[in-house]
Amino acid sequence: MYKNIEKLEVAGFIFPLTLFTVWYVATMEGVVPAYLLPSPWDLVRTAIDFAIVSEDLTPYSGTLFVHSIASVGRVVTGFGLAAAIGLPLGFLSGRIALAKSSLDPTVHLIRIVPGIGWLPLAMVWFGVGESTTLFLISLAAFFPIYVNAAQGASSVSPMLVRAGRMLGANELRIFTTVIIPAAMPSTVAGLRLGLGLSWAYLVLGELTGVTHGLGAVMMDARMLGNVEMILVSMIFIGLFGRISDLLLLGSFRRLNLLKRGYEE
Amino acid sequence: MRRAKLSASDISKSFSMPGEDIFLQALEKIDFEIQEGEFVSILGPSGCGKSTFLNILAGFEDVDCGNVVCCGESIKGPSPERAVVFQSPVLFPWLDVKENIMYGLKQVGKRKADAEQLASEYLKAVGLEDFGNYYPSQLSGGMQQRVSLVRSLILDPKVLLMDEPFAALDAQTRYSMQQLLLQLWESNRQTILFITHDVEEALLLSDRICIMSRRPGSIIEEISVPFERPRTITLAGSEDFSILKSRILSKLLT
Repeated sequence: MYKNIEKLEVAGFIFPLTLFTVWYVATMEGVVPAYLLPSPWDLVRTAIDFAIVSEDLTPYSGTLFVHSIASVGRVVTGFGLAAAIGLPLGFLSGRIALAKSSLDPTVHLIRIVPGIGWLPLAMVWFGVGESTTLFLISLAAFFPIYVNAAQGASSVSPMLVRAGRMLGANELRIFTTVIIPAAMPSTVAGLRLGLGLSWAYLVLGELTGVTHGLGAVMMDARMLGNVEMILVSMIFIGLFGRISDLLLLGSFRRLNLLKRGYEE
Repeated sequence: MRRAKLSASDISKSFSMPGEDIFLQALEKIDFEIQEGEFVSILGPSGCGKSTFLNILAGFEDVDCGNVVCCGESIKGPSPERAVVFQSPVLFPWLDVKENIMYGLKQVGKRKADAEQLASEYLKAVGLEDFGNYYPSQLSGGMQQRVSLVRSLILDPKVLLMDEPFAALDAQTRYSMQQLLLQLWESNRQTILFITHDVEEALLLSDRICIMSRRPGSIIEEISVPFERPRTITLAGSEDFSILKSRILSKLLT
């Protein structure tokens, strides 16, 4: 058993290592020119230079902090807005038939249009830049948050609700102490999906033209023909996305709200 | 004459089958009373509506006609005055054992320090003093059911309603739970309505047994259980016990 797990973990490294080797060899031998794909070594140097000015390799030396703050700020604001609207609406439509029948059809109708399809309209409404980015993030993240919160709230075991009621909880307390915690596993799944989408739409929004942000760096670097910087920005976006996901998951674990417990 | 703690007079209940015009008569004209400090079992075959009856007393379901009164007030909904122990533990999986037990106390506005004190005492009484910080998923079925019992008992309900609470446990655990319930009852004389389909369980625990008929459920016979208290599980071996048991069984099987 234990050995098998070790084997599986080893197996997980084979593919990326192979990929890395191919990449390394290809760039070293000059099979692929550096303006299409830089060598791993160049990439690491650029990344370090981007994070802390060490060699002044690119116009972006030492600007990681400024750009990340801008990007993270947008994700936090946009995602926060989506959660602030999506969670209460989701919980309500999961529990109250009237809320469901008045909200659900419209939400699902709007949901069919892919988030990217909102870009032109958003640019007309909000202009290029900040507001458009926030709008796109909030819009995209709203749907999975709403849908999963509603799903979680509607599938809370009626026995748990009965238990809460016979122990003296009124309707409001049932909502806050039974429905919401019991809906958490599904709700957190929705929040994670929403957060992932937030990062995706952050990049889309930033590509349209903001002065600071990792997406802006990418777009800018493309015009300068600096592939290293495009790749480095991509890596940092991936990194921040992963870290934010772990933070989200970790905070709910700490609150102990992901326990499924026994089978009903 | 002592006043009845909980009484149901002439209650009937039917369910409509989904999508059809057929009504399923679950309960028919049930009259029932339980006095203060009394331990009464409702015994009946499965599907006879005994759980429906308990749900009505708990306030989870309405009656079609008839009256249900608890301590002079008619029942309008669930209340900690009529706390329930369900067949499955139905604990809150995101709360630890102690928080589960204190949940009800918190709802009725008990001070936190008092609630903690009380919770510790009750945990000790059921032998779970070392498990206060465990989560339900970390406990065995029997332990979970003890927590479930304690969180209702701690509210000092006017009537404790128990809906086949030990039916899902293995035989060994069931005996020890019955023993525990006997002990607890000896010490506080809680008024208990106990639903079961197990004749021996009913005989061992109760002062009085109401036998319910098959659907539509109604109470067809009441039997007082004469055995002296305090009782222990060994009572089940006695001759009087067997005689009463076969009398009840023959009644159930007709």
